[in-house]
Amino acid sequence: MGVAIKTEDLTKTYRTRSGKVNVVDHLNLEVEEGEIFGFLGPNGAGKTTTIKMLLGISYPSEGTAWVLGKEIGDTDVHRRLSYLPEKPYYYEHMTGLEILRFYARLFNIKEPERTKKAEALLEKVNLAGDADKIIAQYSRGMQQRIGLAQSLLNDPVLLFLDEPTAGLDPIAHIEIRDLILKMRDEGKTVFISSHELSDVERICDRVTILNYGKVVSEGRLDTLLKGGRIEITAVNVPKGIEDNLRSDGVIASFHDGRLIIDAPDTIATDGFVDAVRSAGGTIVSIIPRRKRLEDLFIESVGGRRVLTEQTEQSEESV
Amino acid sequence: MGQIFAIAQTTLGEAIRRRVLLIILLIGLAFLIISPSLNQLTPRGQTEVLVKMTLGILKITSAILAVTLTVYLIPNEVERRTIYTILSKPVQRYQFLVGKFLGSVGALAVMIGLMTLVLLVTFSLQQRDASMDDVARIVKSAVMYVFQMSLLAGIAMLFSTIVTPIVNFFMTGMVFVFGTLMNPIFESLGASSGGGLAGLGSRVAHYALPNFTNVDITGGATQAEQAVGGSEAVYMMNGIIYAIIYTSIMLVLAVLIFDRREI
Repeated sequence: MGVAIKTEDLTKTYRTRSGKVNVVDHLNLEVEEGEIFGFLGPNGAGKTTTIKMLLGISYPSEGTAWVLGKEIGDTDVHRRLSYLPEKPYYYEHMTGLEILRFYARLFNIKEPERTKKAEALLEKVNLAGDADKIIAQYSRGMQQRIGLAQSLLNDPVLLFLDEPTAGLDPIAHIEIRDLILKMRDEGKTVFISSHELSDVERICDRVTILNYGKVVSEGRLDTLLKGGRIEITAVNVPKGIEDNLRSDGVIASFHDGRLIIDAPDTIATDGFVDAVRSAGGTIVSIIPRRKRLEDLFIESVGGRRVLTEQTEQSEESV
Repeated sequence: MGQIFAIAQTTLGEAIRRRVLLIILLIGLAFLIISPSLNQLTPRGQTEVLVKMTLGILKITSAILAVTLTVYLIPNEVERRTIYTILSKPVQRYQFLVGKFLGSVGALAVMIGLMTLVLLVTFSLQQRDASMDDVARIVKSAVMYVFQMSLLAGIAMLFSTIVTPIVNFFMTGMVFVFGTLMNPIFESLGASSGGGLAGLGSRVAHYALPNFTNVDITGGATQAEQAVGGSEAVYMMNGIIYAIIYTSIMLVLAVLIFDRREI
């Protein structure tokens, strides 16, 4: 499988009152063709700036990147990729059909193919019935769907989706998620920047977590989320037993008269069960808890103060 | 070219729906409609004064429309993030800028055309003694205003790549006022400074700064004859060529700056 995106020491520096800040700091990443890649990080971590540099909208201060084999800045490669920005805005005086025809013109798609394609995409994102409504009458979810439709006009092999499910109701959320999965089935590469960690966990193959413009965690999700925990709850256990149960990575404590043991799932539970029973206690539940992306995210960025997106936007580029 | 026209068409569509522009247009139209009736208060044979006055209203309204429309053209696209979606398509920054410019010029042409039409209808209803020459002069002036306003839009476009819309509004406004009053200013400067260094400086500034009177026919045939010693057609053609060259220079500079600018 080839490489769809590769960055080499990609850096974006802004000049602030307190000096220079690397919003993206020597970023090295590789996204393989045909995968759904999650690009995560708190606000101001440098996600949108990275996407803008990969699209040639913003210029790197240092380093470079290649998208679909071409060095960034080559607009010809834009024929094979697409972008759905965060909180997109479309010309409000145009109808859904008109907006898609406008974007199709930017790809030099001629009539009647232009209209045919626009209508087919409106159908695909469940907006066929609203094709003649002006964008000003569209709800947030409908605008997001029209955004997704415009990003599919050129049948791209690579899609950049910035917060594709933000602000959507649960139904629209599921629809967009299914659409993204369908894109992977069609062999497309999807680069998603999102705060919706549950979505990313469900659909992404690999993730990179960014903080302060630096990679703090990266890898395949199944590898990163290995090592869950197990929670054992027992009652009628005499106090003092918890000290004997505690060891490396094992937390044992009483809550409302119940003993709760929280241990890595690599430790056999038999020893805990035997210890509780021999002390006269009763096991109430044993619940295996899979490590979640949220846990990994907090582990990776937790406790670190982050810049806000607004600060990032207002600084002067170097 | 397809991309440029697509962007231009969308810009035109959006511009003619902008409320603030429609309000300015309506105020301009109201002045144009009531101004011929003011002639009843003046002595007979004052059509000349009336034509000048209505053309002045047309020009000022067009200039306000041009500046208001153009100063927000690029900043709005960045603020609303529409520019990101467009530039992520196979569209170069110069295509975006030229498309936006052509769209705004198209919108200005439509608005000036509408005001001219209203002016002509009002004129024909209220000034029955107006000659065909007067009508022709209004039409020719309106054509020249389209080129004048294109030049003004080009200047505003250049400033919009450097400064904020508010600063741009005042800067472009000042350039317009100065460029309109340039001839009398430099004539007096030239007369007072003679042929020395100051005279040379004023001549250089005269040619370097946009001179809107070069693209103006409000003074009629006499003005043309005085300026080039030739026919009005030659004078108009010179003015149009001047406007196109100057506007092109403004756009090239705007593209060069915009191409390097962080958005």
